[in-house]
Order: sequence, then structure tokens, then C-alpha cells
Amino acid sequence: MYAFNFAPVFAAMDQLLVGAWMTVKLSAAAMAIGLVVSVVCALAKTSGPRPLRWLVDAYVEAIRNTPFLVQIFFLYFGLPTIGVRLDPNSAALLALVVNFGAYGTEIIRAGIESIHRGQIEAGTALGLSRLQVFRYVVMKPALRTVYPALTSQFIYLMLTSSVVSVISATDLAAAGNDLQSKTFASFEVYLVVTGIYLALAVGFSAIFAAIERAVFTYPLSR
Amino acid sequence: MTFTRRAALALLTAATLAAPLAAATPDEIKSKGSVNVGMLVDFPPFGIMDASGKPDGYDADVAKLLADDLGVTLNIVPVTGPNRIPYLLSGQVDLLVASLGITPERAERVDFSEPYAGIAIAVYGLTDVDLSAPEKLAGHTIGVTRASTQDSAVTAVAPDGATIQRFDDDASAVQALLSGQVEAIGVSNIIINQIEQVAPGRFDVKFDLSQQKQGIAVPPGSDALLAEINAFLEKIKADGKLNEIHEKWLGSPLPDFVSATN
Repeated sequence: MYAFNFAPVFAAMDQLLVGAWMTVKLSAAAMAIGLVVSVVCALAKTSGPRPLRWLVDAYVEAIRNTPFLVQIFFLYFGLPTIGVRLDPNSAALLALVVNFGAYGTEIIRAGIESIHRGQIEAGTALGLSRLQVFRYVVMKPALRTVYPALTSQFIYLMLTSSVVSVISATDLAAAGNDLQSKTFASFEVYLVVTGIYLALAVGFSAIFAAIERAVFTYPLSR
Repeated sequence: MTFTRRAALALLTAATLAAPLAAATPDEIKSKGSVNVGMLVDFPPFGIMDASGKPDGYDADVAKLLADDLGVTLNIVPVTGPNRIPYLLSGQVDLLVASLGITPERAERVDFSEPYAGIAIAVYGLTDVDLSAPEKLAGHTIGVTRASTQDSAVTAVAPDGATIQRFDDDASAVQALLSGQVEAIGVSNIIINQIEQVAPGRFDVKFDLSQQKQGIAVPPGSDALLAEINAFLEKIKADGKLNEIHEKWLGSPLPDFVSATN
């Protein structure tokens, strides 16, 4: 029977929490920036000029058909060759944004394409401006339709961020690896780290559900 | 729903209880007919993959001799720096010939044999950066391999204000140095020789950290197995076989601090 010893793990709980906070910041920033990238790319892909569509297609396919690990190595170890030197946490954020952007583009494109042409025409007929049509007739129902897919991709982004420790970024997984290498209590450390990831994912899900209730529930409150 | 949760819980409990932690005795290994040896395969020249994808190197040669000595077949299990001790403690390998440096912290979790190899580690960095003493690391970035001996050594001597970046393997730490992401790394003389071949003159040794002896590791409480391994090591040190392996892979005779029996 394995003798559990959580004492060294709880003694170093502050390190794990610092790492968890970095994971939260990295993930939240990557979600926010990645969503903007996704919306812009999805728009370019559905209604941009042809060369722009090809460019977005190339980006989406290149990212979705290569491993995240290779992408992050490319950004961190490859870019300095052409003079772009990022610190580990910035490189991690950039890699997460670039990676999420490709998946998010496809999700949001699917949402936009689900909007019937007649609905847009109805909006124009009601005298809404182009921007209003885009915001209320296209984007809002589109996001509402793909919201579940988008949030599960967000959670996946948060879990994928555990890979960034390979370029020495200081996230939760890195804090766990450091602690494991000092205490050798791998079972205990990873049990606690798993618990923290689970709690983070549940927390993010709760926030997403609250956003859905506040923003995407009809009839609209405002 | 309740059933599923209960079943999952039962399964989890069973898995926990069944976790193997039995240290193998020499007799058990001999009756099994094979020995599972954990070995690094990303740590040339100690552990590498040969052209046909099979583990090779200094550690592999020592492991082969040991298996021959025990009269069993050798089954090499590739491990990594951070996971080698967990592999041993969870019973997935019987012993480690994995370039594991003998340190007091590790000796609390595993039992070490007499040294079978040794390496010297140092801080090694850009030629034009003055890092001649540990205090001068302040304001600079140093890469190390997480959980390695150089990680503990650099962490111990680095002043506040030095940035230590931890990578998962030596290849990443070296890559960080070569690509300019870190100014220096904590690294062994063996890897320094390899870096000198690809980038001669760009870097030099700043200061020595320690000499490290590597031991064969067994789970705690495997005294009979450990005695047999020590007898084996004494034999191959005496008859020159270990020296041959050292010459073959490192191009120099076995250092005195390794061959001395203490």
C-alpha cells in the first residue's frame, strides 16, 4: 500500500497557487485576445476579399494540422533567429492565442453561416445600420448558436496551457513539475495539481454559464 | 448516475490499492528471467537511441553487463529526467541505470549503488558576458534542466535577481542557449563538448558547480539486489571493463573520483 504524504505538497501550496494564478491569467488573456482574432478571421473568411480568405485558410489549416508543442517550440526557439526574442510567458501567451484563433475562427464561421440571408435583409429593411445589423442580427445570434462549442474550446485552451512549461513558462504545470522534482512525491503533487485544474475548469465553466444567462438569453434585457 | 459514480470510485480505490511498490530481489529477477532497467535515451553519450532505434550508450553497455552478470535478459525502459524516480518507485522498472546523480535528497527516496560513472557540471555561457562567480548571475538569465543536479546546484548559488529558467530536458536548455533565450546554462562537461562542436568559441565555462557521481538506483529496501550490483561494479572496475566503456563513449579513462571505492 502506497503511503501518502501530502505534508510537503501543502507546505509548498503557495507555489502551486502562484502557478495556478499564472495559468488563470494566461488562459483568460488568451481567451480574450483569441476571441478577437477568431471574430476578425471568421469575418475575413466569410465576407473578405478572396486573397484574404486564402490567407486565413492557410493560417487555420497550418495551425489545426500541426501539434501545439511544435508551434510553441517554433515561437520560442525559432523566432530569436530572426531577431524576435520573447520571454517564456509572452511566448506562451502568443502560442495560445495563435492556436486558439485557428479553432475559434472555424467555430465562429460556422455560427455566421448559420444566419439566414433573409434575416440580414429583414434587419436592413427595418432601417438598422450596417454596424447594427452586424452586431444584433449576425454576431449575437451567431455567437449564441456556437456558444457551447466556443466555451468547450476555451476550457480546452486552459488545459492545453499546461504544455507551456516546456519553454520554461511558470504556469501551474511547471509549478507542479518543480515541486515534484524537489519532493519526489509525484502521486501527491499531481493529484493536487489535477484537483486545481479541475477546480479552474469548473470555475471557468460557471463564469461562461453566467455570461450566457446575462448576454445570450432572449428576450433581451436591453 | 449514482451507480456510475460509485463504480468509478471503487475502480479508483482498487487502482490505488493495487499500486505496486514491491522491490524486486535478485532471486525474483532471476526466476522472472528478465530485468527492467530504466534508462535515459536523450542524454548522450550515456543514453542514446542507436541508428536502429534501440537504446545505446554508456548506460546501456553497463546495463548489458549487469544483465549478463545476473544471467537474465535485459529489458530497457526509456525514462526521462523528471520521471525516472517515479518509474522506479512505482515498480515499472526494477532499477535505474539512468545517469542518476547521487544526491542526499534523492538518497532519501531511492538506494544508490557505488558510483559507476561521473560527470563535472559547470555554468557555461556567452563568452562576452562576465559571469565568473555566482554573485554575478544577478540580472542574468540561466537555463537549467528541471529536476537535474545542475538545477539544485544553480538554485543554491544564484543570488536574488538571477532568473532561472527550467526546461524539461537538456535539449531544450541547450536550444535556449543557442537561440539566445538564456545567457548561460548549468550543464555537464559532456554536453559542453557537443556544443563546442556546433558553436566553437561562442561560449565558455564560467565557473564549476560540482563533480557528480552517478549511481545505479534501486527502490528502498532492496538490500540483496544492491549488494549484488555493488559486487558487480567492483568486478568491472577491477577487470577494466568499465574503463573500456568509458573510453568507448567518452574518449577518456574512467576518472579517479568514480573508480575509487569508498
